[in-house]
Amino acid sequence: MKLSALRPVTLVLSRELALTALLLLGVSFVVFVILFLAPGDPFSVLLEGQMPSHEARAGVREALGVPRTWYVQYVSWLGNLLRGNFGTSIRTGLPVFGEIVRVGLSTLYLTLGSMLVTLLIAVPIALHSSVRGATPLNRPFTLLAYLVSSLPVFWLGYVAIYLFSHKLGVFPLVSAASASADRAWLYSLLPICVLGIGNGTVSEVVRYLREELSRVMAEDYIRTARAKGASVWRHAFKEGLLIPMTEIIASKIPFILGGAVIVEQVFNWPGMGRMAWQAAQDRDFPAIMGIVMIAATLVRLGSLLQRVVYVAVNPRASKQRRGAGWAE
Amino acid sequence: MTRYSQIAGEGRDASDLPVWRSADTLDLAYIGYGLLIVALVLVSYVLGVFNWLPHDPEQIRFDLLNAPPGSAGHLLGTDFLGRDILSRLIVAIQAYFLPGLVAIVISLMVGTTLGALAGYRGGEVEVLVTYVNNLVDSFPRLVLILLVIAAFKADIYYIMIIVGVTGVPVVASLVAGKIAFLRQKHFIEAALVLGLPSHVIVLKHILWYHCGPLLVIRATIGMGEAILIETSLSYLGFGVQEPMPSWGNMVQAGANYFFQGKFWPSTAPALAILLTILGFHLLGDGLNSILEDRGGK
Repeated sequence: MKLSALRPVTLVLSRELALTALLLLGVSFVVFVILFLAPGDPFSVLLEGQMPSHEARAGVREALGVPRTWYVQYVSWLGNLLRGNFGTSIRTGLPVFGEIVRVGLSTLYLTLGSMLVTLLIAVPIALHSSVRGATPLNRPFTLLAYLVSSLPVFWLGYVAIYLFSHKLGVFPLVSAASASADRAWLYSLLPICVLGIGNGTVSEVVRYLREELSRVMAEDYIRTARAKGASVWRHAFKEGLLIPMTEIIASKIPFILGGAVIVEQVFNWPGMGRMAWQAAQDRDFPAIMGIVMIAATLVRLGSLLQRVVYVAVNPRASKQRRGAGWAE
Repeated sequence: MTRYSQIAGEGRDASDLPVWRSADTLDLAYIGYGLLIVALVLVSYVLGVFNWLPHDPEQIRFDLLNAPPGSAGHLLGTDFLGRDILSRLIVAIQAYFLPGLVAIVISLMVGTTLGALAGYRGGEVEVLVTYVNNLVDSFPRLVLILLVIAAFKADIYYIMIIVGVTGVPVVASLVAGKIAFLRQKHFIEAALVLGLPSHVIVLKHILWYHCGPLLVIRATIGMGEAILIETSLSYLGFGVQEPMPSWGNMVQAGANYFFQGKFWPSTAPALAILLTILGFHLLGDGLNSILEDRGGK
């Protein structure tokens, strides 16, 4: 890559990085406010049944070295977060951060795999209808995409377990953690497919890809490529498929992570979603707080990655205003 | 959204006809199905509220466990305690109906306000609104709801406030995009030249005359999302608790029997979820393509 092409890219990327950092700061503030407003802070637990006066409460706080004002609390809490100190889980007594990293990897595996499945379903449908034009298969495919998007993912999980594990015996019926090593990857295929099909985004992904691809196929440069006998594909791929694909997938990460909570529950998958569910059951503040922070960070990283791809494919982008804002 | 400006002239002929004449048959079919579902939900809600049900939803009958549909006067069969599934499905609509409306009202009101500010004012306001949108979009909805459940309590209205707030960015960006598009139009220019105050232009000329369809479409899709969240949460065991029925906890309660080959108690509520969410999706998208995309294709 030439230097002249590189400079705007680094410029855009540094701006995107700064924006990501700013958004994560906002995320941490929102989480802090929710925790700050939550009833039942540790002090009321400590002083339970003693009916202390206001001065006594303040005294206890003083003695424990808790900063009095909320912004001092926020800054010290944020400082801890940045050092990777997410507190200790109320349920297990272990540091939250280490636990999230451990389970986060299996969630990452699940979500990335299911994104792939979603794309494997959506891309052929979108390609078919935007390249071939109106064919008799279009409408059934579209309707199918709608149907699939409305399926409750937990029920789809039951059907899959019943069909593939109980009846056909294709997949072993154990959790990923205890599966024997040679069949472990096979087990993980089932939840990945279920989440990929049932995360509720298929119809939107199909529609977006189809619209973008049809728009690009109608562009003049594609007509020119066609006229001179060049490969239409090579010309349409970047703008017509690669960019829309990264855009729509990046914007659907939150949905897929949300779906992971349910799928992990159905399949007993030892991931972040199950940990979040457990934490909500036990009112385990530090654990759920850490999960929200990590999940939001994943979302931001996904959209950062999308911008990187966008700018790398299309250096013109560095001259434009940040496009992810208002475009649908 | 910005692309329509070039094509707006060409679409003139089609848009002079009443919308249903120029519309695609398939879109009309989608809308028809969606309206049918909306009507069913409304009627069932009323039936549930006034307790006009085929059976008592909490009456346990040990002689009729997991009965198939159509047996002994139970049109949709009975669940693992012999309770009438149809009655339970009808009563369960109360679990999401009003909370869902609350969520929709929140996201439409806040989203329209933010979107109108950003689209009309532009500049720093727009930057700020974009920031807020991106910030809210950073949270996976379900995970954020679990945080709120842990911090406060598993109250459905708290949950729906979160659903409403997380629905704000879509509404805000759609309204802002719409306004940015409308601002180039002559009637806005005329209103500006006439010296009308901006609140009149925004509220009357833009929002009242031109954003109605958009907001109706978002409300429809928002209801589908609210149902999805409510059923997911009650499936996970938060929200409505047994013996109060919710479509989510009905699926969950039928799970053990599902693996014994008694599919129906779990599948009936799952089908209700599927058909209802599908209805709201199709209604929203059908309306969208005949009201908003006109001339855009």
